[in-house]
Amino acid sequence: MIAVVGLNYKTAPIDVLEKLFAGCSREGNFPAVLKAIPGVHEILHLSTCNRVELVVSTDDDLRVLDLLKSFLVRSGALTNNEASCIYVHRDEDAIRHLFRVASSLDSLVMGEAQILGQVKEAYRRALTENSTGIILNRLMHRAFRTAKRVRTETGIAANPVSVSFAAVELAKKIFGSLAGKKTLIIGAGEMAELTCMHLIGNGAEEIIVANRSTAQAEILAEKYHGRAVGLGTLDEVLCDADIVISSTGAPSYVVTEDMVRRCLRKRKNRLLFLVDIAMPRDIDPAADGIENVYLYNIDHLQDIVDENMKSRRRESLKAEQIVHEEVAQYFNWLKELEAVPTIVSLRSKAEGIVRMEMEKASSWMGSLESDDRDKVEALVNGIVNKILHAPMTAMKEESAEFQSQDIVAAARQLFRLDD
Amino acid sequence: MASLETIMFVPALACCVLAMTGYLLSLLVKKVSLARVSTWILAASFVFLSLYLLLAAFHSTGWDYFGSRHFLSIYAWVIAGIYLGLQFKTKTRLLGAFIVPFILLLLIAAAGYGSGKNLVPPQWQSWLTNLHLVLAIAGEALFILATAASAMFIIQNGLLKRKKPGKMGKLLPSLGELDRINHLGLLWGFPLLTIGMIAGTVYAAFVWGGQWPADPKVIWSFAVWAVYGFLLHQRLAIGWKGSRIAILSCVAFLLFLSSALVIRFCFATVHNFI
Repeated sequence: MIAVVGLNYKTAPIDVLEKLFAGCSREGNFPAVLKAIPGVHEILHLSTCNRVELVVSTDDDLRVLDLLKSFLVRSGALTNNEASCIYVHRDEDAIRHLFRVASSLDSLVMGEAQILGQVKEAYRRALTENSTGIILNRLMHRAFRTAKRVRTETGIAANPVSVSFAAVELAKKIFGSLAGKKTLIIGAGEMAELTCMHLIGNGAEEIIVANRSTAQAEILAEKYHGRAVGLGTLDEVLCDADIVISSTGAPSYVVTEDMVRRCLRKRKNRLLFLVDIAMPRDIDPAADGIENVYLYNIDHLQDIVDENMKSRRRESLKAEQIVHEEVAQYFNWLKELEAVPTIVSLRSKAEGIVRMEMEKASSWMGSLESDDRDKVEALVNGIVNKILHAPMTAMKEESAEFQSQDIVAAARQLFRLDD
Repeated sequence: MASLETIMFVPALACCVLAMTGYLLSLLVKKVSLARVSTWILAASFVFLSLYLLLAAFHSTGWDYFGSRHFLSIYAWVIAGIYLGLQFKTKTRLLGAFIVPFILLLLIAAAGYGSGKNLVPPQWQSWLTNLHLVLAIAGEALFILATAASAMFIIQNGLLKRKKPGKMGKLLPSLGELDRINHLGLLWGFPLLTIGMIAGTVYAAFVWGGQWPADPKVIWSFAVWAVYGFLLHQRLAIGWKGSRIAILSCVAFLLFLSSALVIRFCFATVHNFI
């Protein structure tokens, strides 16, 4: 049985997640501990800031899952109330859950790209700890494949859903390439810094930081190899910039319409992109009326983000369909790992080979007496049965002890039953 | 028209129709991949058109073989060539949706005209008239390119100013790129047209005689030339950019277009090739 035991941001408040996250880190090499629990065959531990989950392959025994659950409760020192946040998914539900997590359908920000990296990292760790086997290895590969399909076949990650990314996308729509573009940051806020970071990541070059306290501006400027200025020289540096991000706590407009108009004349009407993420606003909205000036405030950006979020939700329907297909495929493979169908297909494959070889030999066997022909056939069947006897018995014995999957998978591979 | 030439002209026209459909569809479903395919189809059309013109050139001994169909085809060929050449430099596939209608219209007109008139009357054939013809067409083709980019600029600018970029905004090229194409179109189109017009003027002054400045096409051409000269001056010297130059480029082009139509239907002049 495949199961997922854990909790995420949907079922548990953030402080419970933090407690569990810290608890699990303290446990050290706990997958090895958990794998030692009788009935647990394979285990993978996935822990991000939004979820702590154990993906396991176990015996068909619910007591094993209870043990895992109580392990989580213990290591996070959770109260009874908090323990009720823990969910358990089994079989198809567990597979679907993992595929949805990897495809970022279960994320706080649907379609975000980090989660796949985190799942891959968790799997890499499990591989070095040698805590996964044939079932989870294939499960994880299928999860990565699903995530890749969702990413390429749907538009779930196509449009930015954060304010800072939306600003970068707009800058690209205005300037085309951001190479060689100068960015002016007014007010050394966190949001401005984040947007600035994305701009640099997309090719923007020079950074100028203007702040009331130059000391703080210098810290930020140094970080991005830019230069720091006081607010007094704003008029001057405004003319240099192509992109302006403003987020001061000033009570009135820091950048007035008149300033923008003057500087546009100086820069010979080159396009100017103003982003005002301050509340109350820093840049006079009237500046938007000036030709070749594009002023976006936080509300405009938020509207774009909301619109993109809606389109992601529409795309997620397509993504769920992909997940559905992939779950069905994996589940079919899993079912085939049971012993009885494998024994049946092994036998029928052997019979097929015997039949084919006998037909091939029929030309020279035609010269034999019918009595002799029967003897040859009996001999061939005898040999085949003797050879198959040992692997088939082994599978039957193992399946009686609920541990047949490894050996069945090996048999399927050795005899090429899946081709 | 020789039959081998027809064999080349028909697929050129068919490919152009196909490319046009592709571009329109790409605007409709908002997928740039369709525009990319259409660009290749247009390239095929360009190749057929080149072969057609090459065959015509083989057939002819001078300009007397070239009729209105050839004139329109050369026009379409130059526009297509400039657009396709630009595709190597910028990735503005969608520009085709605004350029191809012109090419298609020219080709349809070309298909409709047999060889009614001679492009250059036999008695006026000279290297100066050749130069005049080729450069004037190239200059005007570049203005068409600048206009198409400007039309797209106006749409994209409207979307960004209204704060609703949406899918259409994502599909259209960036303002910076469109402005650059306008810049290139004006910057190259104007001198080519100027040299073309000087060549025509010099030839006319010596051969045509005293009445050449009274030709309606000449008068209108100088007016259009002056407007574009003004535009380029404002762009380079005064620093007009973006939406203002985009709107003016469209206005200038409408002026050029209407002058061409008025002259075609209302006046008799040696410059009416179709």
